[in-house]
Amino acid sequence: MMPKYLFSLIAGVGVVATSWFVLAAQTQQSAAVFNPDGTMQLPTGFRKWVFVGAPLTPNALNNGKANFPEYHHVYIEQRNVDAYLKTGEFPEGTVIVKELTRVLNPTFPDGSRTEPSGRGYFNGEYNGMDVTVKDSKRFAATNGWGFFNFGHHPLPYAESAKEASVAECAGCHIAYVAKTDMTWVQFYPILRDGDKTK
Amino acid sequence: MTYLARITLGLLVMAATAVSPQSGSKGPVFAKDGSLVLPAGFRSWVFIGGPITPNKLNDGTAPFPEFHSVYIERENLRYYQKNGKFPEGTVMVKELALAQVGEHPDGSLDSASGRGYFPSTLNGLDVMVKDSKRFAGTNDWGFFTFGHHAEPYETVAKESSISQCAYCHIASVAKTDMVWVQYYPLLKTKID
Repeated sequence: MMPKYLFSLIAGVGVVATSWFVLAAQTQQSAAVFNPDGTMQLPTGFRKWVFVGAPLTPNALNNGKANFPEYHHVYIEQRNVDAYLKTGEFPEGTVIVKELTRVLNPTFPDGSRTEPSGRGYFNGEYNGMDVTVKDSKRFAATNGWGFFNFGHHPLPYAESAKEASVAECAGCHIAYVAKTDMTWVQFYPILRDGDKTK
Repeated sequence: MTYLARITLGLLVMAATAVSPQSGSKGPVFAKDGSLVLPAGFRSWVFIGGPITPNKLNDGTAPFPEFHSVYIERENLRYYQKNGKFPEGTVMVKELALAQVGEHPDGSLDSASGRGYFPSTLNGLDVMVKDSKRFAGTNDWGFFTFGHHAEPYETVAKESSISQCAYCHIASVAKTDMVWVQYYPLLKTKID
């Protein structure tokens, strides 16, 4: 018969090992959290993900009202970037976050201003968030990706969002970037050219 | 504490240590001659903002062409948000990227999402390091450029002269710890 303390010790190790497994499994789960009605919860922690690029569509160059005003900061989790660079497609469960910011106090008609580093555009306030999620079953009708808009306005963003209509988002991605897993990889240097610093 | 409790606690501590993410800044790495080694892993740091100075809006040659993506380690960001200054050993990386060449005279491009500027190839790296002893002559910060060109960047860089970098930071942003905090939303707010 095993001494009681030894049994407890083994049980303890088992609990620790199980916790480890659960933690490891959780880190492999998708960052997407869906509510029972199919709406998606606002992603958290995305500013710790890998920043892949920041297109800029200033309002002043878009008749005063860009579709995505104005900076688009795009974030993807490291493991999904790595998988994309290896395979050319994103894994199931990939979440891509695009956070918007306004430009800082424009002084020229094109929305730019002059700072010591030159004339150009500088980040102003946060201004909204859009998210795409890869789930080939849930979003089979739109090439495996779902699109969500948590508002185009200053913080705080909406806490949850329903799937955007095809006309709002997916239509354009299908038309232009279906061949690159629905993502505008041409605008993101490390997705296009790889991460050579690693 | 019982023997068993101690063992269990020990195991829990081991487990917690094993699964905790990297903590603590790795800080700058200097070569023996005082030059700075190219920072590694910065693309997994926190991106805090991306000014863009298009060449076409700067007589064809912006001093920093063209996107400036700025990264800082998370614990240093947290410290700044709490204390209004950066801790010793803080490294800030500014990686440059060229903009895609557009058809408009200002260099902007018409894309599906609108007219604007879109990154193309990576184009250089500048770094600043806070070390109040080493860089006492320039308000505690040293400035380094690893080249303004496509990868690969230089692997080491010597400290830039005051006229290349520090003077402008001293003239314009000495009061905000030598950093242009006004361009970086995360440095202006205390959000996570």
